[in-house]
Formats: sequence, structure tokens, C-alpha cells
Amino acid sequence: MTPLRITVNGREHVLPAPPETTLLALLREHLGLTGAKLGCDVGDCGACTVLVDGLAVNACLMLAAQADGRSVLTIEGLATPDALHPIQQAFERHAALQCGFCGPGVILSAKALLDANPAPTAAEIREALAGNLCRCTGYAKMITAVHAAAQALHGATDERSPRATPVPRLPLPGGGTGGPR
Amino acid sequence: MRRRGRGIACMWYPIGFTVSANPSAATVKVNEDGTATLLTGTVETGQGSLTVLGQIAAEALGIATEDVHVVSADTDATPMDTGAIASRTTYVTGNAVKLAGERARAILFEAAAPMLGVKPEQLEARDRKIQVRGFPQRSVPIGEAARHALVGKGEPPIGTASFNPPTVAMDPETGQGKPFATYVYATQIAEVEVDDETGEVEVLRIVAAHDCGTPINPMLVEGQVEGGIAMGLGFALQEEILFDAAGRQINPNLTNYIMPTSLDMPEIEVDIVPSYDPTGPFGAKGVGEPTSVPTAAAIANAIYDAVGVRMTALPMTAERVLAAIKAKRAADAPRLAAD
Ligand code: FES
Ligand code: FES
Repeated sequence: MTPLRITVNGREHVLPAPPETTLLALLREHLGLTGAKLGCDVGDCGACTVLVDGLAVNACLMLAAQADGRSVLTIEGLATPDALHPIQQAFERHAALQCGFCGPGVILSAKALLDANPAPTAAEIREALAGNLCRCTGYAKMITAVHAAAQALHGATDERSPRATPVPRLPLPGGGTGGPR
Repeated sequence: MRRRGRGIACMWYPIGFTVSANPSAATVKVNEDGTATLLTGTVETGQGSLTVLGQIAAEALGIATEDVHVVSADTDATPMDTGAIASRTTYVTGNAVKLAGERARAILFEAAAPMLGVKPEQLEARDRKIQVRGFPQRSVPIGEAARHALVGKGEPPIGTASFNPPTVAMDPETGQGKPFATYVYATQIAEVEVDDETGEVEVLRIVAAHDCGTPINPMLVEGQVEGGIAMGLGFALQEEILFDAAGRQINPNLTNYIMPTSLDMPEIEVDIVPSYDPTGPFGAKGVGEPTSVPTAAAIANAIYDAVGVRMTALPMTAERVLAAIKAKRAADAPRLAAD
């Protein structure tokens, strides 16, 4: 086994892993980072979302070897010892999560969005979170929280309210369901 | 063509079990630093019940919510709770917590009365103090009262209580009885667009008015309502477990068991109806399950308003709605021809 060289949350790790190891298994089982959740293991739920070189990926679908030489951010790398990340703070303040199982994935999808688009519209937020299934919240407070985080991070103000209506939908069969998961 | 329609649905829903016992118990201990510890057997699953129970204990003791340390769901150490089911935690466990807090408070009043030179009945617990009613400047900090109760009177300020909703069994002859201690009520209105060429239904907006008694934590009530609507919307339009002839589920994945994503959710407006139930803790009832009860019915009524078909099976998938539209056209056609 050729060892993999992967930077996780700013720290470089050199570690051997069998070729079939997914990035999610590497994070959870080899590095003990259990923040990214194992929901479905087949790319349907988004609970395993992490950022690889800044882009949101389903870690259950990516082989660890594909992350060789790259930089991975998990939910554990977001807060500092002093404070939660502004996105996490906004999620807390707006009670955007309930059971929290989807939370690490949702928050990292939100971070990927806000890094690329500092002032997203409600429709852009909905689209960015469409691959993260949540059974508890109905997503409403998450969308509010991502707006609040955008303002905290970038002073971005969107004229439209987070619940702006009507929300445009992706032209997907089934009206969005089965969208970019 | 996309046709728009609105539908309305109302519901009532009971809190707790049907007649059978479903008790909760709680222990509240007031500490000498003025904080309190609440022991409850109920379990937090993200709905925020431990926050609400902490708020109820704080209100009973006149302290702040962050002064209450909640210890929960450890069956080795915490009192009995029937469970986070039947939309019962705020009402049933909340009543037990309130009673336990009031018992601990009564011990504090006994301890503080001689310190303040009044009778215990003249005291109230507010702003982290035990004070004389009408004379708030005559007070002792709650921690000091707790210390005096413990080391002065030898009676630690600990209250334990249980609550089981009072019910009357249904008479099998007359059907009369009182199977539940209290009920909640709600109305939801859905606005939809139905494509009459494909049968596809898009829910644009849902307005939900819920009576939950006193909303102890309005933000958490909103979260419950929004989450319930997401479940109701999935129930209405998307979610269905399919089986083959041998009883095996044929859609066991989230790509074929379709639940709502952020793209499927409509705009939601939550209206918490002002209400007070004298039998609930500080007037509260509950909100959990009822939130998803009227959603599918409101959507079905909105579909009828939009395209004139009565859907009688869930989920109201595009295929089913289109079949109903075609059947209606076929049924209407001879009449049109005859006209
Ligand atoms: S666990 Fe990766 S998408 Fe579900
Ligand atoms: S908060 Fe429970 S799944 Fe999202």
C-alpha cells in the first residue's frame, strides 16, 4: 500500500489505506473524525459532505486515494478553540438544526456556497443545500441561518427575505426531488 | 397549463395516551449557588424538549434558564418518563417538572420566611431571589435561601413530583368518556400549482396556524411546525414504501424513496395562535405530531381547487394526479358533447 498524503483540517497526515477505502471511512475510522456522518453510503443523503480543495463532496462516494495530495475540511476543522465558525453560530442562533445528524454536511455545503458566492439569494441557498437531506427541520431555518451567516461573514445583504417567494425551481424532473444529491 | 389552487384543512389532536397511564416524573434540586439541577427521564431528539423543560423549571423557581442544569434520559439515575411520544413531553413531563420545582420552592419559602420575618405564603421567587410579595426590596438570594434550608433547617430544597394526565375511560355502551386530558388544534392552508398536462404538483406556500397552548419557546414551536410540514408534504406528494409480491421493499434507498429536499419546500408561514390551557405547565400543551396532520389534506383540497379532481390515495404523485385529470376529462366529455 502506498501511503496517502492528505491534509485534513490543516494538518498533514501520511497514512496507508487499502485501495477500497472511501474518504469517509478514512476520516471516520482511520482518523477518528466522526463529524461527517455515514447516512446511506451511496451518495443519496449528503450527511457525509466534506470540502475537498474547497468543493463540497460526498465523502462516501470518493475514494481516499482520490484525495491524495489534496486538502480536506471537515466539521471538526471549522470552529476554533475560542469560537464557533460564523456559520455554526448562525445555525445555533436560528435553531436551524434539530437532531443534527444532517448538520455537519449542511454546514459544509453552506460554507462551500458562501466561499464562492458571498451574497446568495434564497434560491441559490436552496440549490446549494439540495443534496443534503434533512428529516427534521423543513429546511426553513437553515435557509434563514445561511443568510444570517452571509451577512456575518461578508456584510452581505440580500434585499429579498430568506423566505422570498415564489422560489424558482431547478428544471429537474420531479420538480427538484432527485436533484443534485 | 399550470393551474393554481388553494386548499384548507383543520385538525384536532390529543396529547398523551388514550386513557392508559403515561406518567412522567421529575426531580428539581436547588443548589447553594442559586442554580438548579433538573432530573428527567425524557429524551431529547432535537425538538428542544430539554430546553423547554429547563425553562419550565426556571419559571417555577424564579431563576434563569441558563441556571438550570438538565440531566436526562439516564435510566440508572433519572426518574421515570413514558417517552418522547404522543406529543406529550411539554404537557406531561412539563407538568411534572413544574410540580417538582414548586415543591423545592416551598422548602425555600419555609427557610426564607424567618430570615425575612414574614410567613411563607407572603413570598414569591423572582429574579433569582426569594422576596416578599409587594416588597421586592425585602429579599434573600435564592442560593442563600437554599443554603439556609440545607444547613440551617436541615431540609435540602429538593422537589420530586410525577404527573399522569387525568382521563376517564370510554363507556363501551354510550361511547362517553374523556380519553385525553387536553387537545390541540390547527389549520393549514396550502397554495399549489398543478400542471394539467403532466399532473405535477408544486406547493408554493403553506400557512399554518397552531394552537399549542402557551408557546414556552416560540422559535422551537416554529421549528416543529416547519419540520412537520416537510413530513406532511412528503406524505402528500412523494413518500411511499413499495413492496414486491414477496413483501420485500423495492425502494429501500433515498433515490427511490423520495423525501422533500430544500428545493421541494414551499414558503412556510407559521402562526402561533394565542391560547392558554389552565391544566398545562404555565398554560402549555404540545405541538409535535399535530404539525404534519393537516398538510396532506390541505394540499389535496388545493389540488381539487386547481384542477377539479378529488385525490383519494397518497402520495399524490404526478402519475396519479394525471390519471385523475384524464378520468375526469373522459367523464366530462360525453356531457360536453351532449350540451
Ligand atoms: S453517506 Fe454519503 S451521501 Fe449518504
Ligand atoms: S436536523 Fe435532523 S436530519 Fe436535519
